[in-house]
Amino acid sequence: MTTATVAPRAPQPTRLRGSRSRTVLLAVGLVVSLGVLVLMAGLGVAVGSKAVPLGDVWRALVSPDDSYNAAVVASRIPRTQVGILVGAALAVAGAVIQGLTRNPLGDPGLLGVNAGASMSVVLATAFVGAGFGRTVWAAIPGAVLAAIVVYVVGSGRAGSTPVRLILAGAAVSAVLVAVVQAVSLAKPDVFDTYRFWGIGSLAGRTPETVSLTTGFVLVGLVICLAMSRSLNAIELGDQAATSLGLAPGRTKALAALGATILCAAAVAAAGPIGFVGLAVPHVVRSFTGADHRWLLPYCAVLGPVLVIGSDVIGRVVARPGELMVGAVTAFVGAPFLVAAVRRGRVGL
Amino acid sequence: MSATTTAGPTTADTAPTVLPGGQRLVSLGAPGRPWFAVVVRARPVVVGLTFLALAALAALVTLTVGELGIPLADLPGVLAGEGSRAQEWALFTSRLPRLGVAVLAGAAFGVAGAIFQSVTRNPLGSPDVIGLGGGAAAGAAAAALVWPGFVPTPVGALIGAFVAIAAVYLGTGRGFGAPHRMVVVGIAIGAMALAFVQLALVRATRESAQEVAVWITGSLAARATEHVQVIALAVLVLLPLALVLTRPMQLAEMGDDLATGVGVPVGLSRTAAVVVAVLLTGAAVSVAGPIAFVALTAPQIARRLTLSSGPGLLAAACCGAFLLVLADLVAQYAMPGTIFPVGVVTAGVGGIYLAFLLVREWKQVAV
Repeated sequence: MTTATVAPRAPQPTRLRGSRSRTVLLAVGLVVSLGVLVLMAGLGVAVGSKAVPLGDVWRALVSPDDSYNAAVVASRIPRTQVGILVGAALAVAGAVIQGLTRNPLGDPGLLGVNAGASMSVVLATAFVGAGFGRTVWAAIPGAVLAAIVVYVVGSGRAGSTPVRLILAGAAVSAVLVAVVQAVSLAKPDVFDTYRFWGIGSLAGRTPETVSLTTGFVLVGLVICLAMSRSLNAIELGDQAATSLGLAPGRTKALAALGATILCAAAVAAAGPIGFVGLAVPHVVRSFTGADHRWLLPYCAVLGPVLVIGSDVIGRVVARPGELMVGAVTAFVGAPFLVAAVRRGRVGL
Repeated sequence: MSATTTAGPTTADTAPTVLPGGQRLVSLGAPGRPWFAVVVRARPVVVGLTFLALAALAALVTLTVGELGIPLADLPGVLAGEGSRAQEWALFTSRLPRLGVAVLAGAAFGVAGAIFQSVTRNPLGSPDVIGLGGGAAAGAAAAALVWPGFVPTPVGALIGAFVAIAAVYLGTGRGFGAPHRMVVVGIAIGAMALAFVQLALVRATRESAQEVAVWITGSLAARATEHVQVIALAVLVLLPLALVLTRPMQLAEMGDDLATGVGVPVGLSRTAAVVVAVLLTGAAVSVAGPIAFVALTAPQIARRLTLSSGPGLLAAACCGAFLLVLADLVAQYAMPGTIFPVGVVTAGVGGIYLAFLLVREWKQVAV
């Protein structure tokens, strides 16, 4: 985007004045955000419910030995990696859903997609096998199904509105969560290993979780980022998108596929974590504007910052126990929902 | 309006006047100048009594079925104190308190839902949809786990419910005038409240996820006589208050201007009704947890069956009691060997009902 202009007087009809400095600014901001993410990841490894001195953390990272502290630090590494994957996946999925449905309240948690994914993970674990239940494949059918049901229930004769979708999401989530609870209570032996997965937690993630999830998150991110230009057109409305040379139906289906893969991967890895997909795009949009070409990369970087930050908070506030990351993100993210309603852009 | 049958037939000076449409005017006091008069329609009474009969039937099943089965023929004997020790334990320590809480909390949820639906003029304005149950649960968790001994748990639940309703009221920016806004803000407040419950549980007990889930879902397991006392007191005091407010609420449903025109102090009666509903919800949540969707569905079902305008509080109460007893029965015996928290059943069935309600509403009008 930042091709240097050789001839200073060459006409640049597509670019507004000052947009070049804005581009530079946003690019610098993205680099700074990456730096913040690195710092946050460092915090995620260094801070936990068990206090380990910084020197020991460093030693455990550089030359791991058999000490207890080294084991503690080692256990935090996959956890932080999962946090990065999940945060990026949920934030980008949220931004894509918001663009796709032209609905500022879009969030995989609020719209029932997370609940659908967790239902199908739980069913797969209970009836197919725990090994299959840990894969992202197990989460995908439920996520797709929930998304379709919510969309159908949420679209009345006059089409969908933000509030309809969110109510439909609440209804569908209630049913699916009930199924999850019923199955996990009926088969407690199967779910002993899950512990806090049902609420959304990064605790006890292993390198296996990382390896099972990474591919799906990358595929989903690539699809979504590739769609960012099309999403800009979709936000103008179907007619405008068509006149810009897009096939809205196909574009939407592809973007929805990308978002669904991301949600399914995030849920398979960490359980249903809410409000990340709502809060991060809202914050990011305040400085990038509605352009998905900036919005999505920023979400991919800042989503993990929120998730890892929430996880660190969760480990510190309840020492020696741990608060599930989903509870922290709900507490941090829910006010954004209220703010979005009050701003009055949701047709309420 | 659904109505009090207790008002009349026993007193000598009762003079039922037959009005059009099968309604009766039951009044107490001198003819022509009664100090108490109420219009009774036959249908709500029939519906309410039917629900009570169904609830009684479900209650009988609850009391007699179970691992320590008490044959129906023996039930009166055990109730009179002639059963074996095991039977008496099962009945008095376990099943009766559980049943009592189910009946009374169900009635409380039903009335609270009817009031809120009437005040917001929308079925979605129910306390369980707008985050009130979550707030009460957070208050109860704070009182029981975070600062134990500071206030009793039911008081904590009440405080939590009031904080939640205040947050929803302020959060919408338009008070109770915008039900859909209330729902969305309520989802946010509810999520925050449940996050707080999780924090309280993790800090205090380090319980397993299962127990956290049960707490958040609402359960009737291991209820004791204290629980019954709390909810019985709440229902006994608050239900009559709610009934007094029925008439103003019914008129306010036709619009604030019209109600003011016929002499109803709209603002005052609305505030009073909301306070009563919040108190009922808080009491019910403090004894049974935030059981979802009874408050949403009970008044709706009652209203459909009674075909009445107005909040229909008594029918809603009877329906709520029946629903919760039935749901608890299902939760206990649907899957042999596993006892679900009752909230799992109500959330599953209620969620489907909510979806149905949404589809139906949107077919008729554009929200």
